[in-house]
Amino acid sequence: MAELLRVEELSKSYQQKGFWLQKQITTVLEPISFSIQAHKTLAIIGETGSGKSTLAKLLVGAEPASSGNIHLNGQVLRDGSYKQRCQHIRMIFQDSGTTLNPSLTILQLLDEPLKLNTPFNEKKRKELIRTTLQKVGLLGDHMNFYPHMFSGGQKQRISLARAIILQPQVIILDEALAALDPSLRSQMINLLLDLQQQMGLAYILISHNLGIIRHFSDDIMVLSQGKVVESGKTLDVMNKPQHKVTQKLLMSQNFQLKSKKI
Amino acid sequence: MNLLDIRNLSIELIGDNQNILAVDKVSLSMKEGEVRGLVGESGSGKSLLAQAIVGVLNDKWHVHADRFHWRGIDLLRLSIEERKALLSRDIAMIFQEPMACLDPTTTIGDQLAEAIDASSLTGFFWQKQKQRHSAAIKLLHKVGIKSHSACLNSYPHQLTEALCQRVMIAIALARRPILLIADEPTAAMENTNQGQIFRLLSSLNQLKSMSILLISHDLENITHWTHTITVMYSGQFVEAGTTEQIFRKSLHPYTRALVNSSPSANFHLPAKSRLMTLPGSIPILQHLPIGCRLGPRCPRAQQACVKAPSVTNFHGHKVSCHFPLTPIKIQPKAVKGVC
Repeated sequence: MAELLRVEELSKSYQQKGFWLQKQITTVLEPISFSIQAHKTLAIIGETGSGKSTLAKLLVGAEPASSGNIHLNGQVLRDGSYKQRCQHIRMIFQDSGTTLNPSLTILQLLDEPLKLNTPFNEKKRKELIRTTLQKVGLLGDHMNFYPHMFSGGQKQRISLARAIILQPQVIILDEALAALDPSLRSQMINLLLDLQQQMGLAYILISHNLGIIRHFSDDIMVLSQGKVVESGKTLDVMNKPQHKVTQKLLMSQNFQLKSKKI
Repeated sequence: MNLLDIRNLSIELIGDNQNILAVDKVSLSMKEGEVRGLVGESGSGKSLLAQAIVGVLNDKWHVHADRFHWRGIDLLRLSIEERKALLSRDIAMIFQEPMACLDPTTTIGDQLAEAIDASSLTGFFWQKQKQRHSAAIKLLHKVGIKSHSACLNSYPHQLTEALCQRVMIAIALARRPILLIADEPTAAMENTNQGQIFRLLSSLNQLKSMSILLISHDLENITHWTHTITVMYSGQFVEAGTTEQIFRKSLHPYTRALVNSSPSANFHLPAKSRLMTLPGSIPILQHLPIGCRLGPRCPRAQQACVKAPSVTNFHGHKVSCHFPLTPIKIQPKAVKGVC
């Protein structure tokens, strides 16, 4: 299977302002390379400040990279190419409630990316919104509602609908499942897995919950202070962690699991 | 003797048009030196219940209970002042979001000193000041903060979330409570920090034999640390029993669904297979179903479920369901404190 997204030597560093010799450069993300195929999920774990959110921002194009390039389907994504990028790489945030504009209806919210990125007329767009809402398990009539009328789980579904409405190839989930209640979270995981099978999506999953990562992902990448310390197949890494950071992360959840094995 | 014994506690929200029953006849009992988990998803009224125990709810909420005993004393017969004096001496609470609960305009040192019991200080006022300071340092050491001088002089925003939570625990411990109510002590915290906080709490439980009521929305997070667990759903009592009973032999469909829906509890499941889940979402307070509130989502619901079920007790394993899952066999009681 051809690879969908290939990242080569991507890095990010910030330059602090100062005089000539006192210029300080803080490197948030050391050069990293990886690739994802369609239908696959890459999980990224690491502690706070390890650069996982920075990596997500670089991939969607919210921040320019310091070096390296991103290939999508063999084509290089440049800094300015937002149109191409936002069609193919979409993101779901942790707190879905605050990322939806409270003064717009769901119809207007979902209409915006369509207006900007597709040549469809109004009737076609509405049709598409209706089918997308049904795809994520909501009703077509929900499009006239405002965000505050939905519960937390439903809001997360709406942001998923906003992510998939442009038929993307890669979706980045930045802690998207952390804030949900357990029963809604498993519904959401089922939904994401179904969509992955139907549409051939590739996911980049940033999460803390190792249980979800084990269930959900094919490959895993462990970041620590901007460096990739370990990567490989999820099951291999989880069963035989090599690096200290991975072992520590696994340990911190392992003792939560131990009591269940008795 | 039970430390805390609450029978049929209801909490009602007084509204303009109608009163909403947010917590419906929940019973809770705790033994001395026990760590009890209180589990429920958002809107299950677990935080309300904790606030009602401490007595910090305002006039909008109407609390009613059939029995409310604290170490054998019937609190319902005491006047409000007596009850408050008793509860504030013996019970301490850690609230959610430590950053938001600490005063941002005062240093940690001042906030800690304020919490220290004045009756434990002796001597003249200039000596008391010194004692207060050293007591604050001792408290910080107790919760595992070594650099006490830096911590005492800093403001809450200068500390990390985990440090703030430790300070909150230190403030709660200042009066040497018998019961500590921890309301989601590790929400929005990293795993490594979560482990630290839980280890601190369990060491306090073992060394000082302090009872802890651990409130969490996630069953899988706390099972390692608790002896017994009470599960709530949408303001109703669901199931209570030892951790082993709840996890291995859950009788209520909701508890079973919670256990089955967590991917880390189901190692045998192949990766990327569908997880078991309940349909629908948690009902909001304005539109609560009658009878058993799980009814519309329950796979085993039948006609009888329009009436709220009564609590049945199977050897200390209490369940509130008309059609509990597994048939009950008489088994030797599970050993307490497996973990």
